[in-house]
Amino acid sequence: MSEFALEVENLVKVYTSRGKAPIRAIDAISFRVPSGIIFGLLGPNGAGKSTLLRMLSTLTRPTEGTAKVLGCDVVKRPIEVRKRISSVIQATAVELFLSVKDNLLTYARFQGLDKVTAARRADALIEGFQLGPQVDRKVQDLSGGFRRRVQVAKVFMVNTPVLFLDEFSTGMDPILKRQVMNLLRTEVEKGRTIILTTQILSEAEELCDDFLIINRGKQIARGDLNTLKLLSQGVYEITLAFDHLPENIQAEIAALSPIRFTIEANTIDLALKIEESRVMEVVSALSRNRHVLRVEVRGASLEDIFVELTTREGKELT
Amino acid sequence: MSALSAVVYREAKIRATNFTFIFWDLFFPLLYMLVFGVGVNSALGAPTGIGNVSYHEFFLAGILAMASFAIASNTSWSFFLDRDNGIFYEMLTYPMSRSEYLLGRVIFNVLIAVAQGALTLAVGRGLLGIRVQWPKLPLLLAGMAIGTAGWFFFYAIFALRIRRNDIFNSITSVFYFVFMFASSMFYPLEPLPVWLRRAALLNPITWEIDWLRYTSIGIGNFHLVLLEGAAFLIFSLACFAYAVRCLQQQE
Repeated sequence: MSEFALEVENLVKVYTSRGKAPIRAIDAISFRVPSGIIFGLLGPNGAGKSTLLRMLSTLTRPTEGTAKVLGCDVVKRPIEVRKRISSVIQATAVELFLSVKDNLLTYARFQGLDKVTAARRADALIEGFQLGPQVDRKVQDLSGGFRRRVQVAKVFMVNTPVLFLDEFSTGMDPILKRQVMNLLRTEVEKGRTIILTTQILSEAEELCDDFLIINRGKQIARGDLNTLKLLSQGVYEITLAFDHLPENIQAEIAALSPIRFTIEANTIDLALKIEESRVMEVVSALSRNRHVLRVEVRGASLEDIFVELTTREGKELT
Repeated sequence: MSALSAVVYREAKIRATNFTFIFWDLFFPLLYMLVFGVGVNSALGAPTGIGNVSYHEFFLAGILAMASFAIASNTSWSFFLDRDNGIFYEMLTYPMSRSEYLLGRVIFNVLIAVAQGALTLAVGRGLLGIRVQWPKLPLLLAGMAIGTAGWFFFYAIFALRIRRNDIFNSITSVFYFVFMFASSMFYPLEPLPVWLRRAALLNPITWEIDWLRYTSIGIGNFHLVLLEGAAFLIFSLACFAYAVRCLQQQE
């Protein structure tokens, strides 16, 4: 078995449809993911994340290039790949006409789990995902959040070495999301590899050991958080809380051309790409003749890095 | 094999949760036979040119073919349901081949069709006195099984290639009309105009009906029926191969 969970070489996916220009959804992407980590695949809407996951999970055939899951080529040995993976796709994929428990048991059957183990795991997951009161209800009668729970619970029924999670936390309440994140960490400690896409960058920052950022089908950054921070050197987050929100502060901030900024009640939060020596200058300018309750200056967060990298047009960073 | 059994298990679980569906699938041909068949038999009597058989007897094969056609159409329609709620795409990442997935989808429904055929024959014999050729029963049930599978693969091609279920529904409505009326389902072909007879002879449902008619009540030319049976088998295999290809191209 390969030491890499994923090996992707010059992967290309072009969608063609009659009368329309071809769309290059994935454009010569190459990367490797070692086993036993959580790998974050990030990018804005339409970047090609789901297309990439679909190719890795054998749903879509690449136009060019190769992709291997634990050494098995996704085109040449698709069934071997499928034996090694579990997927939570973006849509809420559940068996609407089956009960919660039957959803779990049917999934286990597809994955070749024996009945006793399947029943034991299903009971544990029903408890863990707080699905007890709904266990015998048909999934079509449940809310979107509960359906998502059932879908995510399914992948914990089995021990496939690689797990693909496409926007797994959509529709989950914060408490459940926290539990699932802990569960994912435990699974990684057991040796599983998790490939996840998410739009919630704080979630990715907390969970992922390694990242790939793509935009318009192209790879724009790769590495762990520290590596990405180096790529995005000079980005600082500044938080200022005032006793009351100063007039014209919005215009003053806009004049600084921030990467992003938010104003909530009396607090402003902005991310700037500036030289380190100018940070305190900016803080002083914004605080002058104002009553400041709190000042915080931080290095870039994943969100800042993401915004900075994905808005740099046409620059290859890796 | 375990993948195939898992798909069959899933189909059975889903269908078993809907008793109306099962009831309708099992009793639909009976109702057709007891209402439509009895009505035509009473009003128009025996069909001409095919020997001493009542309309009940003549229509029996048509009912069985219609039932397999309907089961196949309903089963293929469920692709849309599965696609809409995403489970279709998730299932394609499960450890099985595309052909196992397609075969699994049809096996449970073939069993329903076979049970339905046996039930219809028993009631037809008991209530309407249809003279069933019991020794040919295995061949008849095999015809029901291959008929249901063949039509499912045929419909699956359209269900997999068409993304909108309203377009699919329009196409199946046209198929219902063309396939059923340009065939030997409701009437013998001999009195028909030449163009309609030729169209019916090229229609795979005629091949299925002629097989079912020969194996149920013994009417038909053995050699022609054999040829038609072989043609239907080839039609089914070709549809299966193309449906697998369509499934491989799902994106």
